[in-house]
Amino acid sequence: MLIRLKLNGQLREVDTAPMRRLLDVLREELELTGTKEGCGEGECGTCTVLLDGEVVNACMVVIGQCDGRDVVTVEGLGSEAHLLPIQKTFVTEGGAQCGICTPGMLISAEALLRRNASPTDEQIREALAGNLCRCTGYERIVASVRAAALARSSGGAS
Amino acid sequence: MTIADLASVPFERAGDLASLCARVGELADSEQPFVLLAGGTDWMVEQELRKPFAAGAEPRVIDVSRLDKLREIRLEGNVLSIGAGVTYWEMRNSPEVRAHAPLLERMARDVGAIQIQARGTLGGNLATGSPAADGVAAVAAYDAILVVQSRRGVRRIPMSELQTGYKASTREGDEIFVAVEILLPGPDARWYWRKVGTRRAQAISKVALGGVARVEAGQVVRCGLGMASVAPVTALLPRTRELFLSTKLEKIGPVQLDKAVDSDISPIDDVRSTGEYRLHVAKSVVRDFARALGARV
Ligand SMILES: Cc1cc2nc3c(=O)[nH]c(=O)nc-3n(C[C@H](O)[C@H](O)[C@H](O)COP(=O)(O)OP(=O)(O)OC[C@H]3O[C@@H](n4cnc5c(N)ncnc54)[C@H](O)[C@@H]3O)c2cc1C
Ligand code: FES
Ligand code: FES
Repeated sequence: MLIRLKLNGQLREVDTAPMRRLLDVLREELELTGTKEGCGEGECGTCTVLLDGEVVNACMVVIGQCDGRDVVTVEGLGSEAHLLPIQKTFVTEGGAQCGICTPGMLISAEALLRRNASPTDEQIREALAGNLCRCTGYERIVASVRAAALARSSGGAS
Repeated sequence: MTIADLASVPFERAGDLASLCARVGELADSEQPFVLLAGGTDWMVEQELRKPFAAGAEPRVIDVSRLDKLREIRLEGNVLSIGAGVTYWEMRNSPEVRAHAPLLERMARDVGAIQIQARGTLGGNLATGSPAADGVAAVAAYDAILVVQSRRGVRRIPMSELQTGYKASTREGDEIFVAVEILLPGPDARWYWRKVGTRRAQAISKVALGGVARVEAGQVVRCGLGMASVAPVTALLPRTRELFLSTKLEKIGPVQLDKAVDSDISPIDDVRSTGEYRLHVAKSVVRDFARALGARV
């Protein structure tokens, strides 16, 4: 089936079996390997992407459901030269260690900041509750999101 | 089955509700297995766990995730109708749901995590029919009516008549969940939601209770209860409800209330909890609900 979607702001076409997971098509045909597979069962959130602006697990969505829709992966957040505040603060605040959870964390955190410019710690934790991290103990991740909210509000947003 | 096998599963997209009903009827007649794929948060997980399909026995997947008719939230008079394709995230953000059926908004916050809420639907929750389903417990508390449709027309099933046993129901194989209708209990109605699990997010409950009641002069005049994970089906706690409806709140005592819960459920041990603990928690949350209504228990 020919699927047309907007991917990280660009129109893309991919001809593939419609029941393949969005996660696999992103990583294989579309060569965007930032989106990771942890559990394949909706539990870990490392495959988190935005679908029409909403945070979803790419392991639970089939590509046939994405025709005509807007998908944003971690590659679509910011470029190396122009990182978003959330990407910068994950670096400066130590929000990433091994990095496996990071793409999903960044997507969930950026989606939170777009709907709520100054979240409380509790709101940050709720927004990231579907993203598991085995390294950081979460404190540095919450601090990174807090710092990104500050940077955005003080005009640090790119 | 591995997820790679999914590629061979046939996929089609539902156009509108009438053509979906016709298509489903045709598949049911020819005894072909099919799945209505909404959020995929139940079905996709089941595929990871199941044995491979025999060649040619793959179900036909029909994508219903963009069927507008299933995604409506409508208030007509004192009936709130929530489409079966409405997601938890949409319930959380709907002004109508928040104003008129706040228990649903509260329940939706406790489902999985935001990624699951953004995809999972009420229709999928009802169709899977797990006794642990949070959405089903919450709509049960509102004494909801389930609107189903097939090529034979529309049928309304009261929540109390839906579930007949573990994952078994009175819905026919070709009937599609279209909406959940709630006769609103009024703005002064009390509602209650408590989900007890191992952690706040991504946890299936050990016990969850949804409750809705209207109290007039110390007497409960409308009461609905839905309890998850304590029986093969969502428990409606009929004896407990009868006690609330038949006795002034000041006359309801803790022993009497516990006894009613005891007679309504006999939970079992499983991987998530023990029957004994579940019964203890079930009594505690029912007491908590009763206290919120003004009973001294
Ligand atoms: C990580 C994780 C956490 C979860 N946490 C919770 C939780 O806290 N509480 C909870 O209750 N559930 C939870 N679930 C289960 C699941 O998210 C819900 O049951 C959800 O409501 C299923 O809806 P869906 O649209 O994703 O269903 P799908 O997977 O798309 O479909 C499930 C079944 O329903 C049928 N179906 C779908 N729509 C219709 C319709 N309109 N008419 C008839 N049949 C239909 C399909 O044919 C299929 O058999 C969780 C799942 C995951 C993966
Ligand atoms: S890989 Fe998708 S949630 Fe874990
Ligand atoms: S940094 Fe390693 S899992 Fe989060």
